[in-house]
Formats: sequence, structure tokens, C-alpha cells
Amino acid sequence: MADPRIAFKAGRLFRRGNTNFIDAEPTKGAIILQNGEDGLLHFMWKGRSTNNVEEDLILFPGEATMVKVDQSAWGRTYVLKFSSSNQRHFFWMQDADSSRDAEFVSNVNRLLTDPQMVPIWSAPGAGSEPSTSSAPVAGPSQAASTSQPGVQATPEQLAQMQQILASFAQGSQQQQQPEVSLVDILTPANLTPLFSSHPELIQALFPYLPPDLPTPPNEETLRQIIASPQFRGAVRSFDQALRTGLLGGLVRGLGLPEEAGTGVEAFLRAIQEQARGEEGDRMDTD
Amino acid sequence: MSAEDEQSGWQLTESDPGVFTELLKTLGVPLVVDDLYSLDPASLFEMQPLHAFIFLFKWVGSSAEPTAGQYDPDFPGFFAHQVVNNACATLAVMNALGNIPGLPMGSPLSDLISFTAGMDPQTRGMAITSSDWLREAHNALSPPSAISLDGLGLPKTTEDAYHFIVYMPYMGCVYEFDGLKQHPVNHGPFSESGEGWVAKAREVIEARIATYPAGALEFSLLSLREDPVPRLQAQLAELQASGRQSEASELIVRLSTENSKRERWNFENSLRRHNYVGFVHALLVALAKSGRLETAKEGAKKAMRERAEKRNERGEASMEED
Repeated sequence: MADPRIAFKAGRLFRRGNTNFIDAEPTKGAIILQNGEDGLLHFMWKGRSTNNVEEDLILFPGEATMVKVDQSAWGRTYVLKFSSSNQRHFFWMQDADSSRDAEFVSNVNRLLTDPQMVPIWSAPGAGSEPSTSSAPVAGPSQAASTSQPGVQATPEQLAQMQQILASFAQGSQQQQQPEVSLVDILTPANLTPLFSSHPELIQALFPYLPPDLPTPPNEETLRQIIASPQFRGAVRSFDQALRTGLLGGLVRGLGLPEEAGTGVEAFLRAIQEQARGEEGDRMDTD
Repeated sequence: MSAEDEQSGWQLTESDPGVFTELLKTLGVPLVVDDLYSLDPASLFEMQPLHAFIFLFKWVGSSAEPTAGQYDPDFPGFFAHQVVNNACATLAVMNALGNIPGLPMGSPLSDLISFTAGMDPQTRGMAITSSDWLREAHNALSPPSAISLDGLGLPKTTEDAYHFIVYMPYMGCVYEFDGLKQHPVNHGPFSESGEGWVAKAREVIEARIATYPAGALEFSLLSLREDPVPRLQAQLAELQASGRQSEASELIVRLSTENSKRERWNFENSLRRHNYVGFVHALLVALAKSGRLETAKEGAKKAMRERAEKRNERGEASMEED
């Protein structure tokens, strides 16, 4: 009977042609590590709506490791690398909560090293390292070696894992019709009165305009740009990109929390927070 | 977008004269592209020296393709197949530039053209599509992908690729270069007198347009012609030097029209290249700080609902917005 050991939400990324770019595929999925009936460790990727296993890699101990991709702007991209070949599989974390990423990946790597290894989960509410129930082998204390057993998952954690696995089987019910679009917020009708009531804002926005305009910008330039098809197209693209929920890394560059990159409403809420935090900085004049 | 488009690295560009002209500048070619609103002799005379017509259309409907002219499988000039849909505009430009004798051009372009000498159209198309610098020149005028939206399966907005066809003279005949056809199409010889090849090309293009039912074809015409500005400037200097003021003032008006058009193109191109994420963020924060974001958001929700209701009334499937 196949025995699932670790499961967590993840999507895939694929290389673009012969380039070094990898592009995310938005399909909701999960990585599942499982000791198969064949006695071997299976690293699987499954779509959460279709429930189909699309990838099923059999991995021998030490054959592969999962490593964070540092160059990823998204920030939660990982690659499964093979020690004896150039094979690469790229994944991105899909759980809105990123606090467990490192834990999942470290347990994946423990299993990839030793399929009989027991994953270490930090007990909920526990601050530091959970204590082991058996006394460590006498000797110089080092970082946990493969022979030291970790703490077993608690019944609550097991139940949680069952729940996650069960929810993977349900259709994705999080797809909602979008309620609000940035395109309808950043309209000349909304922005022109803003410029009239806060004229100092106009100058403050110049640094955000194209740096290679043929003539230096003025108020008229700003209005033209806001009304231009290029700007509207960019807002539309950004709006679409936000709806994929993939912009966590990008929005951090704007000083926003990663959660702000998960959707349009989340983005707007984060902006309200950010504006509140900066209150008294600039906007209210004499 | 086809799977090929997603993997190819070629971005979809606008089919705007300003975009084409900027590409030509990057290629080091002293030509410009302009919108053509009419094929009548007077308008075309203004455009001389004229090298090619680019006919672009979105084909709506199911009428059969016209079959005027003759395939020329032994065409000795430059013809490449369209291998990647997103590259269609640049491919059409290449099919035109490769057949203009004695055209000054930058060395990357002349190297690429000589590299493909003797290749069949399919191989030539692939060679062009694999050219990194050409692809970069092409992509330089679409919005920067700060976010890679490729491969996300996002619903396409209405900006679908046009199909491009080039009409131009080659060795005494008017040719049609269509990257989706097997071979160039020879529409027959033209007489050098009067309007020359342009008269013949006009016939062919008008006949083609007439074969589609009214309203079934959304199309545009562009002209590929010599950049008039250097010539106008030289003429102006001459006229001013010889004191012919009234002719000089006419030329000044024409030059100033050309220059304002170029300035508008430069403005639009700088808008096309820009990454607006920071600007969008700054605008939204400004709306929030001035207490207007909530109202704007409510208004936006209302607008979205109203559009959805209208669509339901019209019985259309639910789509993302306009």
C-alpha cells in the first residue's frame, strides 16, 4: 500500500525554449512524496483540479535534491536537481502562507536522502527545536545526523495532512469571478480630480514616467500618459498578472507584503495599509 | 498564442507605423513606414520614392482565399516563411527589405541576409526567427515583461496578430510576399512609365479587397518608403540659399508635419517600452492617501457588474473585461 510521506501545494515552471527563462504554469497542483508499493520513493506532481498525477519520478537515495532558486523574482521557486544528470524540474509554492516553505523543502531533502527518514515537523506553537524522545547517542553534538530520529508528526498534524490530501481531490473552488479591476480604478475620471486637489502630486509622479520621453514631462504629459492605450494596456496586464496570484515576489519590491501579490483585492488592501502607515508624510499640505 | 509562440521568445508587437519605423532605425535602414489612407495617385505621389506596400488584415469570415497571380517557385530574391506568429510584422519587413536593390543597411542586417542566401523559404524563415539580435530589436517595442505572462494561459485580449502581406516590384514584375504561402506570387509585369509599379500594385490590392464581402475584412495599408526628412532638409537649404521664399515656406510646413509625426512616434514608443508597475503603485497609494481609493474601488465594482449584466443580456459567454 503506497504510503504518502509529505504533501504540499506547488505549481510547475517550464523553460522557455532554449533560453534561461522559466515561466510559471498557473495550474494548481501538489508535490507528493510517497513510498510506493514497489518499495521505492516516488516524487510526484499532481494537478489539484484534475487529480491526475502528471509527473512520477522514482528517486533513489541521494539522487536528487530540492534547492531554492535564488534568481527568482517570485521568491518561492525551487528546483529539483539531479546529481548525475542535467535534469531539472522547477516548482513554485502555492500555499498562501510561506512560513512553512523551508520546512517542507528540508523534509523533502531528508526523504530524498533516506526514504525511511521520518520528517521533522515543528509542533504548532513550539518556539525552538522540538526535543527528541530518545537520548542522543553519546558523542560530539553536531547538526542532526541521519541516524537521529526526529519527532513523529502529532495526530493533529497527521489529520491536517489528510485534510490537505483530501482537499486536493476536490475541484478547485477558489476560482472566483473577479469583482474589481485596476483598469476601472486608474481612469482619467478618477485621477484628474486627484491632480486638481493635490497639485504637488504631479511633480512627485514624474520619476515614475518613462525616462526617455522626447521632451521633459509636465502636467499635460501626465494626463496624456494616463489616457494612452499603452498605459491602459499595462494596467490591464498588471491586473491580469495579479489575478494569477503569482506576484508575491514582485510586490515585495514595492514595499508590500507577499500577500499583496495574491490578487487584486489583496493588493488594494495592502495599499490602503501602506498609505495609512505613511500618513502625515506628504499628502496633507498646509 | 500557440505553443510555438510561447516558446519562441518573440513578443507580439503593435502594427503601428511608429513601431515599424523604429525597427527600421534599429536595422540601420533609411526608410520609414506610414499609414496609407488611400491608393489614389495624388496621395501616392506624395510618398515617392515608394518601395513597398504592406497590406495588413484581420480576416473575419470564411470566404475562400483569392488566387490571383502565379506562384513563382524559382524566385531568386529573398523570401522567408513565417515560422512564428508573433514575428509576423518583422518577417514582412524582412521580406520587403531583402528585395530592395542597393538598400543601405546596418551590418547585422546585411550579414543576416547574406547568411540566408540560397536557403529555401522555410529554412530562411527559421534562420531569421533564431536570430537573437533581430528578436531583441523586435521585442524592444513591446511592453517589458517585468512579469512573465507567457505560458500562464491568460485569456487573450482583443489584440490578435494581423496577417501581413508585402506588395513590391522585383525585376519588372509586381510580387506578393505572404509568409504563410509556399512561394512568392508574381502578379505580372508593370510598365515603367507614369506611376510605374504602383499602378499595377493598386489594381492587385483593390481587386483583392473587392473579393471580400463588405465589412468582412478589417484591414490597413502601410507604405514603406524613403525617409523624406533628409531630402526635404536638403531641398529647403537650397531654396533658402537661392532666396525662393514662398517655395521654402511650403517645404517648412511639410518638414514640420513630418517632424511632429516623428515626435509623436517617439513619445508613443517611449510609452511602449516603459514598465509601469512603479507608476501604478504610486497612483494607487496617492488615491489611498487622499481618501479616494474606496470610492474608486466601489465605482470599479459597479462598472464590472454593469458590464457583466450587459453581457448576460446580450447572451455572450462570460469573459474578462473589455
